[in-house]
Amino acid sequence: MFHMPVDVIATFNVQGKIKPNYIRLEDENHALQTYKIENIVFSREENFAGIPVMFFCCNVMLGDNMQMINIKYHIKTHQWVLVHKEDKISQMKG
Amino acid sequence: MDNLVFHIDVNSAFLSWEAVYRLHILGEKTDLREIPSAVAGDIKKRHGIILARSMPAKKYGVRTGDTISDAKRLCPDLVMVPPHYDLYETSSKAFMEILREFSPCVEQYSVDEAYCDMTGTIGLYGSAVVAANLMKDRIASELGFTVNIGISTNKLLAKMASDFKKPNLVHTLFPEEMEKKLWKLPVDELFYVGHATKKKLHALGIHTIGELARTDLDILRAHFKKYGEVIFAFANGIDVSVVSNEIPANKGYGNSTTIAFDVDQANAAKMILLSLAETVCTRLRADSVMATVVAVSIVTSEFHHASHQLTLFSATDTTNEIHRAACRLFDDLWDGTPIRNLGIHTSKVVHGTSVRQLNLFDMNRYERLSKLDTVVDTVRERYGDDSIMRAIFLNNPIYHMAGGIPPEKRKPNYGEGIK
Repeated sequence: MFHMPVDVIATFNVQGKIKPNYIRLEDENHALQTYKIENIVFSREENFAGIPVMFFCCNVMLGDNMQMINIKYHIKTHQWVLVHKEDKISQMKG
Repeated sequence: MDNLVFHIDVNSAFLSWEAVYRLHILGEKTDLREIPSAVAGDIKKRHGIILARSMPAKKYGVRTGDTISDAKRLCPDLVMVPPHYDLYETSSKAFMEILREFSPCVEQYSVDEAYCDMTGTIGLYGSAVVAANLMKDRIASELGFTVNIGISTNKLLAKMASDFKKPNLVHTLFPEEMEKKLWKLPVDELFYVGHATKKKLHALGIHTIGELARTDLDILRAHFKKYGEVIFAFANGIDVSVVSNEIPANKGYGNSTTIAFDVDQANAAKMILLSLAETVCTRLRADSVMATVVAVSIVTSEFHHASHQLTLFSATDTTNEIHRAACRLFDDLWDGTPIRNLGIHTSKVVHGTSVRQLNLFDMNRYERLSKLDTVVDTVRERYGDDSIMRAIFLNNPIYHMAGGIPPEKRKPNYGEGIK
């Protein structure tokens, strides 16, 4: 239902560009799983309701499959969330 | 060159902002704007009114200001969400920032309304309607909520225009369009005409704004005095006020609180007055002003209003002094009927804290209390309002800083929500 809060390792370069590298979340069995972010397809800044967010669309490896996920970085609170999957299509259109 | 004024009004502001927050920040699927929904207070604390409702809820006849029980009767499936004032501040600020990119002269009229002076921007954005649509669409795509924009040559007509048809629309109401668009409307739609005036006007046989505009001014003067001239001018689309981006200085500072239970004891009421004095005086000190007049207002459980005021010997911003004055007023005013709502209002503010009439009898005490207040303010600013409180409020159901927006209404409990 909700966006899921996740742990992220990210690099911040000298130009202030943010690049998420690894994402870690709980699976159905409450075990922590870490995924490497292979590449970032695109990113954009959002400001819905006046809350600034960095939006990243990226590819991760799930076993042998490449999977596209969307994650958001909350600039004010420094939290990362995984955008819920069913939301993906509408997010891509937006 | 003719003046050009925009009035920008967020469509059901509190509800829209909450809907956008839930969709984009929390990731919920349902858009509150598409279902019958409302932002409402807490019925248990007797803050039980509708603060904003969605367009589908409007179709059921739910109005802003209705009680929760009335609204539920009109629309049993109404989805109600608690208020979230921190979010409203954030959204309002982002909204005003976009407006300031379009015009150097923006007057914030309320949390969700503003006037923009767009005179002479035709070379920048093209005609007024094009500019307004650009503004409206930019807000919708960037911030995710919709606005109505009214266009005219003065503030009054622009405001009337933004109220025509909602949501997400641009309307013009230039003086030459008044006859067609404004005059056919019922007279109570006119800005400044409330319930009481509407009744009086109906008694005079005036039902539409057009009829008011064509009424002999002397008749209106005879019935309404100065106010008659104002509504006559408004009905004719005359408004000389200018869009000003300077915030006028506060003339008075006051806070009031509706208590969750009926208060029938003087010492409990005085404790609530102390908690109100805390917040009012904190605000006075934050703006470095002092107040000369203190007023206390009471609303009884039967909704009778009463108030009483006094002028202090000299201006002050000390919590204890204001509280002492409030208690004196309260003793004079209260007849023992149960109290629902209490308020403290201060006025005749003096700027700057340096000038003070020395009082021979409590000079030392004032100095010490004032120093204490400053320290308490600093501690609260750094560690939060609840970090330091008067001992009387310990283990007491009365919150020690009443009035304004209580902490639980700033951030609702979303469980695992962000923010």
